[in-house]
Order: sequence, then structure tokens, then C-alpha cells
Amino acid sequence: MTFMGFVLALCAVASGIGVIGFRNPLYSAFSLVANLMTMAGLYALLDAHFLAVSQIVVYAGAIMVLVLFVLMLLNLKVEGGPKLGVVRATIALGAGVLILMTAVQPIFRHFEGMSAINLRENAARTVGDVASIGEQLFGRYLVQFELSSLVLLIGIVGAVMLAKRKSATLAPRDGYQGAKEV
Amino acid sequence: MASMVGYLGLSLLLFVIGAIGVCIRRNAIVVFMCIEMMLNAVNLSFVTFSKLNGNLDGQIAVFFVMVIAAAEAAVGLAIILAVFRSVASVETSDAAELKW
Repeated sequence: MTFMGFVLALCAVASGIGVIGFRNPLYSAFSLVANLMTMAGLYALLDAHFLAVSQIVVYAGAIMVLVLFVLMLLNLKVEGGPKLGVVRATIALGAGVLILMTAVQPIFRHFEGMSAINLRENAARTVGDVASIGEQLFGRYLVQFELSSLVLLIGIVGAVMLAKRKSATLAPRDGYQGAKEV
Repeated sequence: MASMVGYLGLSLLLFVIGAIGVCIRRNAIVVFMCIEMMLNAVNLSFVTFSKLNGNLDGQIAVFFVMVIAAAEAAVGLAIILAVFRSVASVETSDAAELKW
């Protein structure tokens, strides 16, 4: 990892801890924005240029604006109730360590068989710019790409249905005939 | 090789932070944000493996994860709004009943 990558990784971990650490959900949200930005930087370092830009546009732009909008709409106060108990904190930390333990071993075993030269050649060949990603998306993955647009459409319709107020149902309201009486 | 292990380690660390956040936070929106962070951690390892294996399939997978995450954000926040209307709270423990 280069120096730049190291700095970005530190920022990512710090802002990640900020997301779960702040009591005020608004601070958590801004922390997550910082986290997503650093992730975009890491993608750029890994030569995934298209993903770096779409990360900023889709995640840090669209999704986080939606989250912040809902946070402002609900006008939430700082998380109340009792502070995090020792038991719950221990369980959470234990679960985290367990995940770490189960994941670390396979990661390191995966690379034992690969030679360093092979890996370097692979790394030099993989550049995710717009042209190569587009070639894949509209070639091998065309069906999935089109289906994903369907998923988005269903998502939008579902969100509108769920967020609609009860009073706005399709049945005409009580005082509707008023139009004729005038 | 060593640098790639660094990226994978970072991905793992962020995933674990997100998982801990899902466990300990009570605000549904913060839980939701922690899930987004876990998705991002997995995306980072997708990109790293794509680089290691020398093809773009991993990056395509990340693209689709982003699409699904966008749909999930819209639906998930709408559900949180609907829950807020009926129980006037976004604390996960307040929405513990299946019927109200």
C-alpha cells in the first residue's frame, strides 16, 4: 500500500469508528460521507476510476442526501436511553473479533499459491476506466444491466407506496362531491 | 501482494466496525448507515480481488452492489418513515412488535 493509500485507510477507519461512535445521528451521517469519500480515493488508487466517480455520485451524492433528508425530516434528538451496557459492548466486540478471526485465515491462505510476478501482471492489466467497464456492462452483463434498471424502478415504486400517507389512498375522500355542488 | 493484503485488511476492519455498529446502535437510521458501510467494505475487497485476478468482473459486481444499495436506500428509508409514523420513534427496540 502506498503512502497515500495508508493515509486514506487511516481516514476510512477513523470515520468508520465515528459513524458508530457519535451519539448524534447527524454527525454519524457526515462521518459516513467522509468514509465514502475516502473509499472513492482508495478505488482510484486501485485503478477503478469509473467506480471512484460513481461512488461519489451515487453514494456520497444520492444515497447520503436521502439519508440526511430523512434525518432532518424526522427531526431526531440525540440518542437517549441508557448508555451502552458492558454486556452488550462485550457481545458486540466478541462478535467483531469472531468475524475477524474467521475471515483472516482464508484471506492469507488464498494468496499462497499465486506467484508475485503473476499478481503484478494481473494488477497492471486491470484498469477500470469507463471504456472497459462499459464494454463489459453492455456486452457480457447486458441482461443483468437491464434487469438492474427494473430493480431500480420497482424500488422507486415501492418507496413511494411505503412513504405515502394513509389519507392519500385511492378511495375518494368524504367531501369530494363538492365539485358538483358549486 | 503486500499492498493488496493491506486493502483486504482495511476492508475486513471496516466490515467489522459496521457489524459492531449494527449490534450496538439503537437508531434505525444509524443501523442502516452501518449496513451501507459494510456493503462498502465488501466493495473494496471486490475491487482488490478484481485487481489480483486480472479481470474486471469484480468491478462489475461492485457496480451492481451500488445499484442494489441505491434501491435499498430508497425502500429502507421509506420503511423507516412508515415505522416512524406509526410508533413515533426510530429506535429499533420501539418497533419490536409485529402488530400495533
